Amino acid sequence: MKFTSTTALGLVLGAAMGTTAFASDGKLDIVFINDGHVAPYHVAWLSGFEDAIAAYDTAFPDTKITGRWLSAEGSLEKMIQQAEVTINEKPDVMFVNAINVDAFEPLVAKAKAAGIVWIAVHSPMESADYSFTLGDVENGKNQGLAMCALSGGKPFNVAIMLGQAGNPSGDARHQGILEGIKTCDNVKVVAEQPADWDTVKAQTLAENWMTQFPDLNAISGVTDGYMYPSIAIAANSGRTDLQFYGYDGDIPIIQQMEGGQVKADILLSGTREGWNFVQMAYRIHMGQEVEKVYDFFTPLVMSDENYALALKNGFPADIEVYNVAKALDVAAKGDIEFGPDSVK
Amino acid sequence: MQNIARTLQERNIVVVTLLCCIVFYVLSPRFLSVDNMSAISRQIVPIGLIMLGQFFVIVSGNIDLSLGMASVLFAVVLGVFFGLTGGVGIGLLAVIVASLAMGFVNGALVAKLRLPAFIVTLSTLFVAQGLSGLIISRGQQIFLMGGFFQWAGSEKLLGIYLSVWFLIALGGLAYVVYNHTRIGAAIIAIGNSEDNAKLAGINVDRVKIGVFMFSGLCSGFAGIMLSTRMGFVQPGLDGNGLLLDAIAAIIIGGTLIQGGRGTIGGALWGVAFIGIINNALNLLNVEDVWHQVFKGLVILAALGVNWLLWQSRQSEAH
Amino acid sequence: MTSISTSTTPRLSGLSLRYLVLLGLIVIASVGFGLANENFYSLTNFGILLRSIAVLFLVSMGMTFVMLTGGIDLSVGSNVAFSGGVGVITLTTTGSAPLGFAAAVLAGMAIGAINGVFIGRLRLSAFMVSLATYALARGLALVIYDANSINVSNAAFLWLGGVSWGSMPVVIPFVVVVFVGLSVLLYNTPFGRNVYAAGANFNTSFVLGRRPERTLVWIYVLSGALAGLSAIVTVGRVSSGQPWSGLYLEFDAITAVILGGTSLFGGRGRLLGTILGVLLYGIIINGLVLTGTNPYLQSLIKGMILLGVVLLDTWTQRGKTS
Repeated sequence: MKFTSTTALGLVLGAAMGTTAFASDGKLDIVFINDGHVAPYHVAWLSGFEDAIAAYDTAFPDTKITGRWLSAEGSLEKMIQQAEVTINEKPDVMFVNAINVDAFEPLVAKAKAAGIVWIAVHSPMESADYSFTLGDVENGKNQGLAMCALSGGKPFNVAIMLGQAGNPSGDARHQGILEGIKTCDNVKVVAEQPADWDTVKAQTLAENWMTQFPDLNAISGVTDGYMYPSIAIAANSGRTDLQFYGYDGDIPIIQQMEGGQVKADILLSGTREGWNFVQMAYRIHMGQEVEKVYDFFTPLVMSDENYALALKNGFPADIEVYNVAKALDVAAKGDIEFGPDSVK
Repeated sequence: MQNIARTLQERNIVVVTLLCCIVFYVLSPRFLSVDNMSAISRQIVPIGLIMLGQFFVIVSGNIDLSLGMASVLFAVVLGVFFGLTGGVGIGLLAVIVASLAMGFVNGALVAKLRLPAFIVTLSTLFVAQGLSGLIISRGQQIFLMGGFFQWAGSEKLLGIYLSVWFLIALGGLAYVVYNHTRIGAAIIAIGNSEDNAKLAGINVDRVKIGVFMFSGLCSGFAGIMLSTRMGFVQPGLDGNGLLLDAIAAIIIGGTLIQGGRGTIGGALWGVAFIGIINNALNLLNVEDVWHQVFKGLVILAALGVNWLLWQSRQSEAH
Repeated sequence: MTSISTSTTPRLSGLSLRYLVLLGLIVIASVGFGLANENFYSLTNFGILLRSIAVLFLVSMGMTFVMLTGGIDLSVGSNVAFSGGVGVITLTTTGSAPLGFAAAVLAGMAIGAINGVFIGRLRLSAFMVSLATYALARGLALVIYDANSINVSNAAFLWLGGVSWGSMPVVIPFVVVVFVGLSVLLYNTPFGRNVYAAGANFNTSFVLGRRPERTLVWIYVLSGALAGLSAIVTVGRVSSGQPWSGLYLEFDAITAVILGGTSLFGGRGRLLGTILGVLLYGIIINGLVLTGTNPYLQSLIKGMILLGVVLLDTWTQRGKTS
């Protein structure tokens, strides 16, 4: 990771703030404002966050650790109101998955003045104390590379389901997938359309693509939320040959990877991310050094069999890959990587 | 005169639908493939079921806004019961009971307490939305793969999906009840004039409650079909989109929104029209943002035609 | 004519009682949330509350006019997104804030005019027509924004929705001005009398030559204009134009208006009641956010509030007539 002088300065400032702000009192109050609460990824994310709060509170009796999450239900107005109200509450740490970062600049300043640590989620903010980021482009590229390696060298048609138009995460993942696919000649993108993070829309799209392109080989998506309904409709249409390339590391999708139609997935896992939030907040609270732009560790997931095949077909050996068992383990139990033991 | 206007309206939608098919075929030859046609037929099932329930409500002079969100709630109910007991039968039974109960509450509030239907059902829409997330632990998704769900979602009879047969069967039943029974006549009479219906000795309250219970049941069926199609259930699916499509189909199908007149055949064509448009917009790679503009315009245009129909009926009356 | 004037006298006393009840409920709700959360009474929080319900104030006042005639306008939420989009795009292409304001309000009025013509002139169901424009305006918003948000930095354009004098958001005095203006319109002009008359009995007022169909057209245009103003406030608040803004706003407005004592059947109700209704509803919503209530539970509570108020209204009115 490259460090500019400003990020280094921010890091020092951030660490300094962390120590001065909390060391005196034994409480850590964390608020997580998210853009939604309905999608499977969000559900796992918020659950992981809740579980981690409880686990940390039990593990560290000296510190009263509390937390809650709010959902803006996709509305920027609502999110701003929630952030304003929360700042007024003076929690110690705020994680904000801003729908539009520019609209939050004034609030970051307000939060700082109130001594609240602001952690920008996914879309980094220069002004925030910390940013919790995903390597969306790189992850997407890994998905594309896996597709190239598993496509078998023959002509291979893929359709890509995108996020809502203009959504930065969706756009970055899309860009990455295309970069990955570009590294081989046989994979051809026959269609790409947004499904707006909506499962019903995703299913209709998948069904229409299957009839429109009888020679379709794979569906790639920027979220595993699209995979559930697409796999179901493929099964219901007898298309058991169709491959799926997912993104999110949702447990039910990873469970379908061993010998199944899902060939590769990106292990974000909402549970892991929720646990990582609490771990990060606790580390800041304890005055530990945390990178100002913190990168969430997100390996690729493939079955052992497919990984061996991919390596044989030239998949870069330096990309971190988890097998299904390991991915399921860390996705289901966030405490393995981010539990209280990781900071003791 | 009345019959001419009515036939014209019904024919119109048939002609427009067929014309659209030709245009889409020219633009994308895969449109008329057997695969695509059976995909469309399967996609319209939940909309069609909600339409059947809504049709009777509208003919009786009311509206039920809760149907879309309720179908999501009932899909979740099925998932929760299936998840708890592993039994499909008990889940289906729970959906049928719960959907009839919800319809009864809507109907009783509208009929007995004389509350406006759109306010009552707007409230129950939000209640259904809330419940769908509260009855499922942490709002998680539940998977319904294999067994009954696989069978109901993918099995074909004579080349047509079972879910489509179900819609056809319920549509046929509705057609018979609507056109050839006293219940159907009573519903039309209430839609035309409640006072006259009362004078004619119709138990208006009971019919109204029955109509809402049927629409509730239809949303229950739609929920079941939705879950077998999706292979999983989750709160917060876009139920209101289904509702809007169903209402659009009814208006397009020539049902008089003031109540008292409409044909089931026309409304079913309306559903097919909506399904074909949704499919073609995908097939032709039309940007998603245009879908809703198109729907709004189609409803407005259909309302205009509806107005002409109303005018012709008014002039008949004088 | 007589039926209208006789219903005037008991209407006022019945409503005054309701306003007292509403004030009482506002106090109870505030105390309740105050006990649950110590920050509820801070001046800052009050400012946040007022600012977050400013748009609801504006839209609900328009909805009051609509509902006084026994109608409904489901399109206002989508209209906020659409007219905001027109305003923001006009601003970014011309660079002129006044032109942007005018465009937003005119766009809102245009959607209102579609509603008005179909509902007033063609006498089609307000519900169905505004459901069509609900889909249409949201679709148009998505199209003109290309589903993307547009950032706005023009200080003049953001002033109304974004700036505060101390803890007092600028938009609140603006809401007061709109309230006074609309009150004059409703209570002191022939137009206002026509609004009540059209609601009390459309056919009678038709026979009396009050031209209720024309009144209806203007009422929906007014509701659209208020959606346009709300759009300007919304853009100022989030310093950007958002294609999905105003989602479910119509539901909140309808609930607040009914809470404020406007009859569902038209002809009865006052703007003051709507103001109190918005305040009470706003306190509840804000309180639910403050206490971190599960969003699904919030939906359930919203639905129950609407149903509960309608039920209570019906029972109290039954009691009076029998």
